[in-house]
Amino acid sequence: MKRRTLQYSRFLALLLVFALMVGVVSAQGDRKVLVDAGNAVGASDVPTLDPSLATDTSSIQVLIETNPGLTRINEVTLETEPSMATWTVSDDGLVYTFSIMPEVPWVKYNAETDAVEQVLDENGNVRYVTAEDFAYGIRRSIGGQLGSYYGGIMASWVVNGDAVYAGELPVEELGVEVLDTYTLQITASKPAAFLSTIFGMWQAYAQPAWVIEEYGDFWYEPESFQGYGPFTLKEWIHGESITIIKNPFWPGTENIPVPALDEVKMMVLEASAALANFEAGAADVSIVPLSDIDRIQADPVLSEAYYVGPGSCTYIYGINTAKPPLDDARVRQALSMSINRQALIDNVTKGGQQPAFFFARPSLAAAPHQEDYPEYVLGEDVEVARELLQSYLDERGITLDQMEPITLAHNESEGHARIAQAIQQMWTEALGITVEIQTQEWAVYLETIKSDDAPQVFRYGWCLDYPDAHNFLFDVFDSQVRELGINWNNEDAAEFDSLVEQAMVEPDMQTRTDLYAQAENLLTNKDAAIIPIYYYTSLNLTQPWVQRTHSQFGQEYFEKWDIDLSARP
Amino acid sequence: MSVTDIASLSEARPKGDSLWMDGLKRLARNRMAVLGVVIIIFFILVAVFADQLAPKSYEAQVLADNNAAPQWVIDMFPVMTSKADGGYVTVSNDYILGADDLGRDILSRIIYGTRISLAVAFVGPILALIIGLVMGLIAGYFGGIVDNIIMRVVDIFYAFPTLLIIILMMAYFRGSFNESSSQGTFGYALYMADRSMGGMLFIFIGIALTSWVGLARLTRGEALSARQREYVIAARSIGSKERGIMFRHVLPNILGPLIVAETLTIPTYIRYEAFLSFIGLGVNRPTPSWGSMISDGSRAIASYPHQAIFPAIALFLIMFAFNFLGDGLRDALDPRMRGVE
Amino acid sequence: MGAFIVRRMLQMLLVLFVISLFTFVVMRAVPGGPFSSEKSLPPRTLAQLEAKYNLDEPLVMQYIHYIGDIAIPHITENRLENSVLNDYLINIYIPVVDRTFRWMNFGPSYKSVSQTVNSIIKDTLPVSATLGIGALLVALVIGVPAGIIAALNRNSRWDYIAMGVSIVGVSIPVIVLGPVLRYVFGVQLKWLPPTGWGGIEHIIMPAFALGFAESARLARLTRASLLQVLNEDYIRTARAKGLAERVVVGLHALKNAMLPVVTTIGPLFAFLITGSFVAELVFGIPGLGKFFVTSITNRDYPVIMGTTLLLGFLVIVANLIVDVVYVWLDPRIKYD
Repeated sequence: MKRRTLQYSRFLALLLVFALMVGVVSAQGDRKVLVDAGNAVGASDVPTLDPSLATDTSSIQVLIETNPGLTRINEVTLETEPSMATWTVSDDGLVYTFSIMPEVPWVKYNAETDAVEQVLDENGNVRYVTAEDFAYGIRRSIGGQLGSYYGGIMASWVVNGDAVYAGELPVEELGVEVLDTYTLQITASKPAAFLSTIFGMWQAYAQPAWVIEEYGDFWYEPESFQGYGPFTLKEWIHGESITIIKNPFWPGTENIPVPALDEVKMMVLEASAALANFEAGAADVSIVPLSDIDRIQADPVLSEAYYVGPGSCTYIYGINTAKPPLDDARVRQALSMSINRQALIDNVTKGGQQPAFFFARPSLAAAPHQEDYPEYVLGEDVEVARELLQSYLDERGITLDQMEPITLAHNESEGHARIAQAIQQMWTEALGITVEIQTQEWAVYLETIKSDDAPQVFRYGWCLDYPDAHNFLFDVFDSQVRELGINWNNEDAAEFDSLVEQAMVEPDMQTRTDLYAQAENLLTNKDAAIIPIYYYTSLNLTQPWVQRTHSQFGQEYFEKWDIDLSARP
Repeated sequence: MSVTDIASLSEARPKGDSLWMDGLKRLARNRMAVLGVVIIIFFILVAVFADQLAPKSYEAQVLADNNAAPQWVIDMFPVMTSKADGGYVTVSNDYILGADDLGRDILSRIIYGTRISLAVAFVGPILALIIGLVMGLIAGYFGGIVDNIIMRVVDIFYAFPTLLIIILMMAYFRGSFNESSSQGTFGYALYMADRSMGGMLFIFIGIALTSWVGLARLTRGEALSARQREYVIAARSIGSKERGIMFRHVLPNILGPLIVAETLTIPTYIRYEAFLSFIGLGVNRPTPSWGSMISDGSRAIASYPHQAIFPAIALFLIMFAFNFLGDGLRDALDPRMRGVE
Repeated sequence: MGAFIVRRMLQMLLVLFVISLFTFVVMRAVPGGPFSSEKSLPPRTLAQLEAKYNLDEPLVMQYIHYIGDIAIPHITENRLENSVLNDYLINIYIPVVDRTFRWMNFGPSYKSVSQTVNSIIKDTLPVSATLGIGALLVALVIGVPAGIIAALNRNSRWDYIAMGVSIVGVSIPVIVLGPVLRYVFGVQLKWLPPTGWGGIEHIIMPAFALGFAESARLARLTRASLLQVLNEDYIRTARAKGLAERVVVGLHALKNAMLPVVTTIGPLFAFLITGSFVAELVFGIPGLGKFFVTSITNRDYPVIMGTTLLLGFLVIVANLIVDVVYVWLDPRIKYD
């Protein structure tokens, strides 16, 4: 390594005089400032910090630290645990009563004093987070006519929610009631096992009414932002970075401790730029570019920093079951069975992903594990796939050449392109079919795949909003939702709907799991209406001086992290 | 302008030939320009005989050989270390320049990619040249209000951010004309034509739409100034018709500068193709183009530099060739450069 | 001269108007909308968003409102509701009537919800302009001397070397040069921070990556132009008078040879501001290019319109400045 550096220097010192300038290394002193490169917020500007409007992982990453919800998901066990409140549920599973932690102050970063300050009300008293603040947040999300996506999701779970969302009922009619300063009661429209998780999501975070009234659409910019969590917003350079700073007034709880870090700077960086920062020692945590995984795994230093853990999404190929030849289940099964998922993972995606045969990720509550239900797993078998295809061709009395060509569509991205090209070759080799790859730009692609005229096969992915199988099987495929329209045969569609709707209200976990397993059987095996490919992993690089937890659901809890300053160079 | 030149104009055909022959002779004396021509001819031959030259298929994948490189490539790039030396690169001397991330032969992909890059280098500019020439001549010939309208259109296109218009048009073409366009319509025909060209048609249209402007301006300027030249005045004085003058006398005289200008812009078009690939609006995969190979490879440059560097070298050679040819042509054809030596 | 500039300004308004119309039509013809996402919005949510941004009106009305918001000045209360729909570029307090004069509202961003086109441009244009100036300096410092050396030593070894180096520049795409620079100087040698923005040390690599390619163009232009000038009669006369070659070239030839070079600097600068998308991505720079390219993929209509108009404006102004400088450099040219 040394020698190589020397070679470079000799060669380049001649060429470039300006390189004499030495980069300024900023002095961090003994403050614990963690620099995150592209891992927390990705490659484009954080769209919003309004809890009512947030829909993407990076906005939620910041909010989860600045405005914790009533409940929150444990990043490792994925169980829902108390956050700002503890709660009780009525026997009919409809009334949720939340006792909010008293005397947690609203805080604000003051750029002039470079300190986090408590927020005072008009009488000079400290403003504490109250049930009213949470109620305000929920009412604003559902009844504010803001076009809140998750407000809409939550609306269907709260009494009168849908009518309030549509503006047909005043917001006061919403099933959200402030019992006293620190007690909030939410009345659900129907019972479900995962309601405590839904009520802890960002659209239900406490929001500062007084700030929103004064600053309008700009209230969450750093000049006016107020939070109450373990961190609060310090700086937001749009398109470059967003920095959160420790809130010294956070009392610390069992689940949300007082942070050890002083600041977290989340840099907006594309993956290979992020890795460059990590390798240069300018970042403590980094996202992992696919192209560099081989080198990282072989490198003695980087391989120590490399982490692979469960992710939060499933990668699938969706199918337009109305278009021949994919209107026949045998052809769909043949396609699914002739993908060598492990070879794809080892050679193309490389991040240690798990081959998927079911849609719902195994880490979700009530999700069936494919190894527990081998009879429902379609599996991989090229021989059987060929027979299935042949029987289809024989039935139609055509040859392979006469079969309609298959179009495989994906949105433009290098990673999707690699996978599509590899699968294209697998299908051609195994079945002798012609597959045309079609690439579309993102916005066009979304419109295409959700139209009735969707391509025969198309890439699709789904990431969890809350860790329950319902979020995958019901929210995507139930005919009430039709996130992804499937025109499979009517009997099975009706049966699928009844299975996932039964599972939604079923209290017993094992029974729920069995119901979901049967639904998976219809979806991925019997009808093969989709082709599951793999379960995502979450990959990152962490410098050895950082002690951290690894989240399984897309956001990190930085208050559980620490930096060993003595080990940091 | 000498007396002999005016004399020659009175003949039915202008002696443009001698002007061109003269230019070619000059060009032949310019060693770098000749080298440029040789390189371009070489790449044309590579493109034509790609099927015979390529050692492997450009699309066949050997997944196990993903990112493989031969030993000499590993030795060339200090960052790469082979698996045998505790590194990460699969060594395979089957691939002369190594394999890409799906185990496809890079050399074969470069060879086939020549077709796209040369097509971008020729088809786009020729389209632009035709549009620009016609518009410019019309403006210069008719003058007055026609000239005014055309030049305002040119002004508008000129102020238009080129890249934005290309991106927007590409998004429009790709989005609007796709498989779902009903058969028999214009959109469907365009889509099928584009598909059969590996997704290049829309790139050509995008380039042509934005690049004719400069040429139109140049043509008009040359046409206007040509009208004031002695030989045109002479032609007019002996009774030649205006249209005849435009096409017989003016056109051959301004073609030189136009071709020069266009040759010099060819590298820009080749770069556009690379940029479009980078933002995901390039050719359809797995059709290889140098631009898409470079943009895919650039993301892996810290681990597998060969994937971007080799196509970049090919790109460099062709740009080098077009640049020197363009310079040479200008020196040879531009009348204002006469007698510089 | 004054009349000329006024006329050009009026022409510019017309050109910008046509650009806005064209962009609007093409942009709205592209399939996909600003609120498409992997998790599709329920119709009721979409309806709220469309109402918020007036996207539920007929297209013609949307365009008229858009242009109206920009072009028509408003006299309003001093304090407006804090809304992304109310962000004016020009706000002047008029004491007599105790009202505020406001003009040029380019609309909100649909993607960055608390941002407006005005605020995005205010944030990013200085960044892009700084980078553009840096790149232009690199291009000039390398390109012009290389062109002069080549021209003065025509067809010699120096000519070939200078032209060869400049062609290397124009032939290496920023997509390759950027990551290579970042890896060598940022990661291996650690001389410069690999990415970021703020200090002079952050500008060097991206300015070089962008400017190197343009230096090639300038070098070739300088060479050609200088060769042509050296052949003009007045240079021959100067030489014949026995003036030292240095004086001939330095004083007489160079000044005139710079004319076409100046012509390209204007558009080049405008190009560098817009063409920096790749450099911004590679070096993590919060510039205009990123917003400009991603606004198209996001269908962020007001941002697409705003950036297009801004860039069109920059190109026109750059060309106007060039024309004015032209007169100053070459007194023979007159505009009437």
